Amino acid sequence: MNRVAQGLVLVLLGTAALASTVFTELYLNYVQAGFRPFLIAAGVVLVVLGLVVVAAELRLVVREEQAAHDHGGGHGDHAHVPRVAWLLLLPAVSVFVIAPPALGAYTAENAASAAPPEKAEGGGNFDELGDPDSAAPVEMKLREFVSRAWTDEERAMSGRTIELTGFAVPNPEGKGWYLARLQMACCAADAIVNRVLITDQPEPAKDSWWTVRGTWEEPEGDLQSVRDHHFSVAEMTEVDDPPDPYE
Amino acid sequence: MTERLGGSGPPATSSLGDSLVTDWDTRDDDLPPPDWGRPRGPRRIATVWLFAGFMVALALGNAWLSDTLTGEAFLAWATIFTAISLQALPFLVFGVALSAALTAFVPSSFYRRVFPANTALAVPVAGAAGAVLPGCECASVPVAGGLIKRGVAPAAALTFLLAAPAINPVVLVATAVAFAGQPEMVAGRFVASLGAAVVVGWLWARFGRTDWLRPPRAHHDPSAPAWRVFQESMLHDLLHAGGFLVVGGLAAATLNVVVPREWVLAVAGLPVVSVLVLALLAILLSICSEADAFVAVSLTDFSPTAKLAFLVVGPMVDLKLIALQGGTFGWSFARRFVPLTLAVALLFSFLVGGVLL
Repeated sequence: MNRVAQGLVLVLLGTAALASTVFTELYLNYVQAGFRPFLIAAGVVLVVLGLVVVAAELRLVVREEQAAHDHGGGHGDHAHVPRVAWLLLLPAVSVFVIAPPALGAYTAENAASAAPPEKAEGGGNFDELGDPDSAAPVEMKLREFVSRAWTDEERAMSGRTIELTGFAVPNPEGKGWYLARLQMACCAADAIVNRVLITDQPEPAKDSWWTVRGTWEEPEGDLQSVRDHHFSVAEMTEVDDPPDPYE
Repeated sequence: MTERLGGSGPPATSSLGDSLVTDWDTRDDDLPPPDWGRPRGPRRIATVWLFAGFMVALALGNAWLSDTLTGEAFLAWATIFTAISLQALPFLVFGVALSAALTAFVPSSFYRRVFPANTALAVPVAGAAGAVLPGCECASVPVAGGLIKRGVAPAAALTFLLAAPAINPVVLVATAVAFAGQPEMVAGRFVASLGAAVVVGWLWARFGRTDWLRPPRAHHDPSAPAWRVFQESMLHDLLHAGGFLVVGGLAAATLNVVVPREWVLAVAGLPVVSVLVLALLAILLSICSEADAFVAVSLTDFSPTAKLAFLVVGPMVDLKLIALQGGTFGWSFARRFVPLTLAVALLFSFLVGGVLL
């Protein structure tokens, strides 16, 4: 790997970071929105460093300095860059060529799903659900719905009209289908599934996005022993993929 | 070359770091002359055309392939690989820049003031210093390399490497958020991680040998201007550490997609085995230390001690770290350091888990 190649690898990697953050919102498929400034900074550093290295090297070539190895303060290890450094091109290839989509139903079927939190945390920690007498639906994140359904012993959601948005996931083990949303703490590698089971509507196409309006089917007995949260749908509309697919 | 490190006391006349740096300088003479293998001008120009061609291929690939690649498992794999790479990238660049700045702009005398000359004392100091740097694992490896380069005792630098990603403020806050209402998990993570890092440092100081550790880089020319040293150090570290980071990302993404969660959950009830399984899962998944608490809290079928092991082992030993450490310090180092760290981290998980949780 000569120095021109070294510099250009860094430029390409930096360009991939910039292209997925500055010009598109592709990065939201992979990492938290909060990563944007850091990715841009890292991309700029990589592009600048790579260009400086390439420019310095090409200037040498143009001047036809045969004593090329004397430049740069005499560092002797340029030729020892391991071959594995070429792999730095892979993230760039992945971003530019594959542009992988956000994780969806495939992951939701296989990944760990969220589980009831420890008892100590639950109960009474939730905000009010707006005016309890109003008929207006309460828009809610799936993760919030799931966490309330598991821990809100006061059952504030009971009887309220609730609006949820997520993608359709088949239920391999029985009746109905899941409306699911992946929750991400840092990057897609740590995604966790939140889902509700819907049995009173025909199953839509896998991975299509829907906003559903309906009510929570209250379980009898202990909230924490519930495995799937049932949701009774009154109305559902297909929506475009949200720009930020994770919660 | 096989002198023991630390323990029995530092050399009388100079610090341990000095003797190491000298070793590296003399070793440098064995390397072939720098112009060996260096291509002449025309080939470097050709490289530019090669990359131009490569970019055209990327554009064509994007036009033709991105719609035809539809395999669900493949796309999930590609997403996770890209996610791990992009998420680690800022931390890698930050760590490499910090390491280069340590090399280029901070005089060696500074480290001698901060780190006690006695290695046995320098190790806990380095562990405490790890609580300051808010970075993930990928940042701490090049920084530790930079510390060794500047003459800090390897044992202390390695303690820093282990402690920094596990106990820095960002990670502890993330852990507190994930385990809301369970402050003992944050305390357990802090105590077990710091303890394991310091003990590994002491063991390395006592039994480690200088020649296991490949010098991170040839000692730079003292006459070169500081910005030039900074630039060269960044380029070198990025290419070395970056390639191995990608290797780790590939392995972690593959296992993330391939290993079914049911296998993991099937053993959740067994007391000791479950701890080992979560430790293994932490190694395989290679989740950034700032995010691992959120994954740990989702593994509700497991005992608190098993979750603690997940949090303690993950930032110290995982696939991308092993690749990074092997690439930075050499495989004869990684072969010894990784099992030692794993054993000590597990021991501390059991101990602290037994007492606190």
